Amino acid sequence: MKFLALFVVRSTMLMLMAATTPAWAQEAIGFVKTVAGDSTVTDGGKAVKAVPGTPIRLNSVLKTGAKGTMGVTFKDNQVMSFGPDTELTVDEYLYAPAKGDLKFAASMSKGTLNVVSGVIAKLKPEAVSLKTPTGQIGVRGTNYVVRVEPQ
Amino acid sequence: MQRHRQRWQLLTAGLLGSVLLLAGCATPPPAKPVSYAVLLDNPDGTTGAITLTGAAGQVLVTRAGFGAMLDGSAQPYSVDQARLNADFGAVLAARPHLPVTFVLYFDGTSTTLTADSKVLIANVLAEVSNRAAPDVSIVGHTDTLGSIESNERLGLDRAQAVAKLIADAGLKVIDLSVVSNGESDLLVKTPDETAEPKNRRVEITIR
Repeated sequence: MKFLALFVVRSTMLMLMAATTPAWAQEAIGFVKTVAGDSTVTDGGKAVKAVPGTPIRLNSVLKTGAKGTMGVTFKDNQVMSFGPDTELTVDEYLYAPAKGDLKFAASMSKGTLNVVSGVIAKLKPEAVSLKTPTGQIGVRGTNYVVRVEPQ
Repeated sequence: MQRHRQRWQLLTAGLLGSVLLLAGCATPPPAKPVSYAVLLDNPDGTTGAITLTGAAGQVLVTRAGFGAMLDGSAQPYSVDQARLNADFGAVLAARPHLPVTFVLYFDGTSTTLTADSKVLIANVLAEVSNRAAPDVSIVGHTDTLGSIESNERLGLDRAQAVAKLIADAGLKVIDLSVVSNGESDLLVKTPDETAEPKNRRVEITIR
């Protein structure tokens, strides 16, 4: 008696957004929640100043300035926060638990970061990774901080 | 300014390393700014694990408050609170509210909340209104009484009833997802055509 199909209804607002955004724009996979100082989110080469509510999409580049910080939540309840002078790119994000599609991969080139794992890490820990210039971090249902010295 | 800070960090890291060396620690923390990660306790009090894989090898960290180099070159070492504060104070201060999930239950095959769940509505609304730019996911569920199709519909009606509570309170959300899982995701596993109050629910996650 398993029924795999999901009956999904999106808010009208989202449907309107999808209809009017350019082709490269992906669906939001998370949102900025806290910001201090100069912080930006870059999509398709276009940087916008981050404010609470700024969407995060696949391939978004999240950047904080010398005195900036930023906090972000993702659809799977993963929570990330960024210290000053930090840069991270979301390389892969799949969150469709009913279909078993689960993946989070990001690259961090410099700065400091806190990650509180979400549902993806809980259901499929091997599908979660953070790449840095000197090594890769894997998780098992985890809260951690990481500091990356630019290479 | 930047150089001064780095020099200061070098100095404190060096001092810290010396102190721990004197204390007889087997693997002292690195003496200069390095790329490293530290495992922390989960917000729920449990502890997970991280693996660090680099050119120098692979290290598994399973104890909270322990760190290791990202290149996998050293065994895990204890990282004290002063070092954590110096390197990660700003990061931890910027952490958003953690997502919260409420489960609300319904009477029979209706879209009416149980008396116990009605009491929780105020808490749900407070969580939404306390957050900057909240985004909300609402997932409706049913028990296995009735057809798959009718339960898809009932789960959606329940989810929409909860969405309406938020809208009626005049609260703004930046994203709202309203979904039905019908009878496909039972909290309590039962055979088909089984009434089970714990399965008649809506899960609402506020981020």
